[in-house]
Amino acid sequence: MIDVRGLVKIHGSQRVLDGVTFSVERGEVAAILGPSGGGKSTLLRCINGLETFEDGFVQVEGVTLRPGGARRETAETLRALRRRVGMVFQQFHLFPHMTVLENVLSGPLHVLHVPRAQAEAEARHLLDRVGLQEKLSARPEELSGGQQQRVAIARALAMKPEAILFDEPTSALDPRMAGEVMSVITDLARSGQTMIVVTHAMGFARNVAHTVHVMHEGRIVESGPPVQVFEAPREEVTRAFLSDVKTEGPPAR
Amino acid sequence: MMSVRIRRRVVLVLPVLLVGISATVSADTLDRIRGRGSLRWGGDQSGGAPYIFEGSDGKLTGFELELAEVLATKLGVRGEFVQGQWDKLPQLIDRGDIDIVLNGYEWSPERERQWASTVPYYVYKLQLLVRRDGETIRSWDDLRAGPGQARKRIGVLIGSAAERYILERFGDAVALKPYDGVTNAMTSVEQGQIEATLQDVPIAIHYAPEFPLLSPVGDPVAPGHYVILVERSEDTLRTRLNEAILGAFEDGTLKRIYEKYGLWNADQLELGRIARSWPPAVEVASTDSSSLPHFGKLLLDAAAMTIALSCLSMPLAMLAGLLVSTGRLYGPRWVRWPLELYVEFLRGTPLLLQLYVIFYVLPNMGVRVPAFWSGVLGLAINYSAYEAENYRAGFLAIPRGQMEAALSLGMSTWTALRRVIIPQAVRIVIPPVTNDFIALFKDTSVCSVITVTELTGMYSRLSNNQPHLVLQLGLMTSVLYLLMSYPLSLVARRLEGRFKRVAA
Repeated sequence: MIDVRGLVKIHGSQRVLDGVTFSVERGEVAAILGPSGGGKSTLLRCINGLETFEDGFVQVEGVTLRPGGARRETAETLRALRRRVGMVFQQFHLFPHMTVLENVLSGPLHVLHVPRAQAEAEARHLLDRVGLQEKLSARPEELSGGQQQRVAIARALAMKPEAILFDEPTSALDPRMAGEVMSVITDLARSGQTMIVVTHAMGFARNVAHTVHVMHEGRIVESGPPVQVFEAPREEVTRAFLSDVKTEGPPAR
Repeated sequence: MMSVRIRRRVVLVLPVLLVGISATVSADTLDRIRGRGSLRWGGDQSGGAPYIFEGSDGKLTGFELELAEVLATKLGVRGEFVQGQWDKLPQLIDRGDIDIVLNGYEWSPERERQWASTVPYYVYKLQLLVRRDGETIRSWDDLRAGPGQARKRIGVLIGSAAERYILERFGDAVALKPYDGVTNAMTSVEQGQIEATLQDVPIAIHYAPEFPLLSPVGDPVAPGHYVILVERSEDTLRTRLNEAILGAFEDGTLKRIYEKYGLWNADQLELGRIARSWPPAVEVASTDSSSLPHFGKLLLDAAAMTIALSCLSMPLAMLAGLLVSTGRLYGPRWVRWPLELYVEFLRGTPLLLQLYVIFYVLPNMGVRVPAFWSGVLGLAINYSAYEAENYRAGFLAIPRGQMEAALSLGMSTWTALRRVIIPQAVRIVIPPVTNDFIALFKDTSVCSVITVTELTGMYSRLSNNQPHLVLQLGLMTSVLYLLMSYPLSLVARRLEGRFKRVAA
């Protein structure tokens, strides 16, 4: 349901994305791995229109993004796409002037215009699901990093998106909180949510993802089921990356 | 301890020294003038015809310029003209910037207390001027409004005898509009901003060709005397000047000069007789301090005007500023550079100039805005540029991720601004915005140049007419300004506290 073809993004003289092609089916959990600077975050941000690109296209359930930038893409197209695809950020980006509940309500109330009673009931349910039912009237600054990220996930889920993009969701968290968040994401994955996850959490990529893509210098160098990529990588780049990960010691996740 | 002999010598020498010193001091100004070789006389050449003004050949001319030269010659020096704002000229004597004021200054008992005056050099009257095709005013009686009619608006030069005449004769029956220049007042009559103006006859005569739409109405009234002002203690200088003036009258020099400018008339023949019984007796001030409450009330009313101007223009400025800043940051590409131009132009030109344009220039293009609303409009537009920059800084201080998160939820830019960005930016911009509001209160003082009488303008008028009360009036005015600004600071602090908990 998400189709990316020949995506090229140039920043100054650098080809940040150098012809990226891949697709994600409904219900599929795709993990994107690779060394820093490989273009993983940029790829995600192109998919939901936060960044523009120079060539190729992105298609999500009938909505197509083309090259050229904000001038070409109408606000309508972008909004339509973003309703189908939600995003969870490395820095959470909760709204500090709202409570936890209000954060989760912000999408349904102000974008979908769902009646308040109904939206609230659903929001409570979601917060329950991520384990934060006690914190409804807390403000983001009162929460730990892991709690904030879980609210961010609930906030994205409140829009009932077809797919969710996770941009290094645990990179800003210490191992214990990362574990909390990763287990929430794992639950989501197991319940059939389509997702693309850029991550360094190898355990998740190995045990939960259906497909693993390895990105290096703006290209996807290897794709396949986790078993194949981790046990029998085809590319030298993949081998080098995985061995770097092993010598560092896998993160205790 | 001094010996008896030395002490006796000191006692003898001291009085001689003191007499010698005081003699030097009292002859000082005249000596200084002679030493310098020039008599510095103060006047205002803007709108200054026929007193002193720039002729068509670009050189300064005017009947007072010629008179000053004549008087200086009789003192054995040349004349040196010093430019100053008309209603503030006597204060230049106090500062030492000029020796005398020679610029159509009418003799008044209040001024006589602060500055000494020579014998009159011209007898003038006041002339009422209206629009030739206007139907409302055909005589002096028509100045008073009929039942149910709005008051007539009359323009006068700030601090002039015309202003005093209207205040004393008509009081609240007319709406007095104070102008800082005579040509501005006449322009306003032609443009319909006011119904009439009262000017000295020399001015009415000289400017008649330049203001063809104006015509005199009623007889000239209130004969008065132009005098030269000198510092209170300058007896010698004053005596010499009196001799010079009378000499010029008797040998026909005055007549020659005045005829050249069309100003000679039968009234001037009285100058010699008037000089002999000059100056008129000044009544001992009886009601000075008891007028302070009256002046206090006038200042209070003017303060209400200051508050009205500020409280109407600031919200408009904030609204316009918000539109401009969001347009610059989040609007389509083509709208950004005009908005940038808007901000740079309004910040880069003086507020005073902008008010002039709105009040005096726009009517020429068919847009006539009443004085009060010109003030509100001018202040609102000028300050909107500064508010726009405050908001822009506030927006830029919000982390980019906030907007990205909002957009990722499917919000439109407008919804994201309204629900996510602006509520956070508010806390950041409260200090600079309230700062600007406090500054705005003070900036309303420039509205006095477009005839809106706010607090500073009222202080200026009162202190001109009551120069001996300058200190008390100044204190009252300052206190009123502080009373207006301080509560604002308190409100600002409370607002900051209320919004404190929304940091990203």
